[in-house]
Amino acid sequence: MNEIKITAYKCKKCGHIHYPKHERCLKCKSREFEELKPEGNVKLLAYTQQFNLPWGFDERFLIIGIAQFENGVKALGQIKAESLGGIKSGMTMKPSWEPVRYVYGEPVYGLKFEPL
Amino acid sequence: MRDVAIIGVGMIPFGRRDEDTLVDMLAYASMHALDDAGLGDKGVDAVYVANMGGGILQHQTAIASALVDRLSLLPAAADTVENGPASGASAVKNGVLAVASGYYDTVLVAGGEKMREVTGWKATDFVATLTHPEVEYPYGITLPGMAGIFTRLYMEKYGLTREMLVAVAIKNQAMGALNPYAHVEMLITREGILDSPHSVVNNPAMADPLHLYDACPVSDGAAALILCPLEMAQELTKNVPILVAGFGQATDTHALQEREDPTDLKAVTLAAQQAFKRANLKPSDIDVAELHDAFTILEIAESEHVGFFKKGEGGKAVLAGKTKLGGQIPINVSGGLKARGHPVGGTGVAQLVELTWQLRHELPKERQVKNAKTGLSVNFGGFGNNVLCFILKRGGK
Repeated sequence: MNEIKITAYKCKKCGHIHYPKHERCLKCKSREFEELKPEGNVKLLAYTQQFNLPWGFDERFLIIGIAQFENGVKALGQIKAESLGGIKSGMTMKPSWEPVRYVYGEPVYGLKFEPL
Repeated sequence: MRDVAIIGVGMIPFGRRDEDTLVDMLAYASMHALDDAGLGDKGVDAVYVANMGGGILQHQTAIASALVDRLSLLPAAADTVENGPASGASAVKNGVLAVASGYYDTVLVAGGEKMREVTGWKATDFVATLTHPEVEYPYGITLPGMAGIFTRLYMEKYGLTREMLVAVAIKNQAMGALNPYAHVEMLITREGILDSPHSVVNNPAMADPLHLYDACPVSDGAAALILCPLEMAQELTKNVPILVAGFGQATDTHALQEREDPTDLKAVTLAAQQAFKRANLKPSDIDVAELHDAFTILEIAESEHVGFFKKGEGGKAVLAGKTKLGGQIPINVSGGLKARGHPVGGTGVAQLVELTWQLRHELPKERQVKNAKTGLSVNFGGFGNNVLCFILKRGGK
């Protein structure tokens, strides 16, 4: 599996997991964190099929969701599916690190989720 | 701290205004407000201008400096306030604090946006610049997309239905049809956007489960108001003074994924609680409300989070007619963002202009909440990560 190039931050005091980065813990205000790499597959928490895309996308629509990795890291990503048929909250998906958009012809990498 | 009153208001019709620049629109609305207050040729001490996108959409910055010059209000102090779609209420907040503190006596607050001169995909991208630049924006998520995610979660948790969302759209567009300032003055029916086979074409999916008619239009427009100490209102204007009885502001996580329960709009609840405490009122004391219905779901969710209804009951209240004119708590009698339109920097000011008209009892009877004495607004920034709530009261304390 290709490397998921995101870093989450686990509070050393209370264990709360942050992604993106914060200077102080959202829960206990501690400033001490350990870096955490996302692990395993993800569980889909919420999603939408979005039409009317912003500047920079040529697709007809995007399916976008928020998912949680097995070690607790939560992240937004694009879902690899042709339609919403078969997509359900709670389903397990396989994450990958791939181009999610192109800016002036250059790929911008990010998270994609593939339903299993 | 001094009590602060709104003594003059002005607005221009929202919609597509190709002939006007951003500063034109702000100037017209401001002149209406100055004239409404009866300030004549008198100046003001300070000007606060709410605008989100002049720098991006018009390649123009320092909008307040341009406006104060255009209005010949020099040498008044002038600041531009940018707080996403909550810029309007943020600018009013700054004006209220300036007057309440005793530093300034008369303040003009104007808010506006010119969004129709760019293509729809550029306007969508512009609004999406308020999402998190690393963990949201690159993926193409937009505000409609966030609203779609939120709506599905609301449906799963509270049993919200599309029928409830459609009822908000029909109600607000019916009111917008009576509002000469509204961008959309078109009646819609449940058959046309939900029940008939044609609804698939009339009302296509936008961000599932939301459809086209669940969203507000992209608008040009501006609104303005004049503030002064309540104790000076009588000598400055013949209008019934409208007291800024209280306001609140709260924030939430920038990234939606970091909220423990994304259906809980904590910033709305906290902002409303602060406003009610300051005004010494409770939700049942409010006669009329202007809520930030950029999407139909938001009117329902905000009506619950400010305390008008219990969680999960807002949609049922719409179906029961509790939020229409003559109902338990009339919401968005102006047509709301859904019909009046949403020039993002102007919306928070426009909500308070509408409430001022309501509390001065100046609207035509088909839009006037009978004997309204108190009004509440919610201006929702980001996707609920920066929210302001105002409470206004007719005729002072």
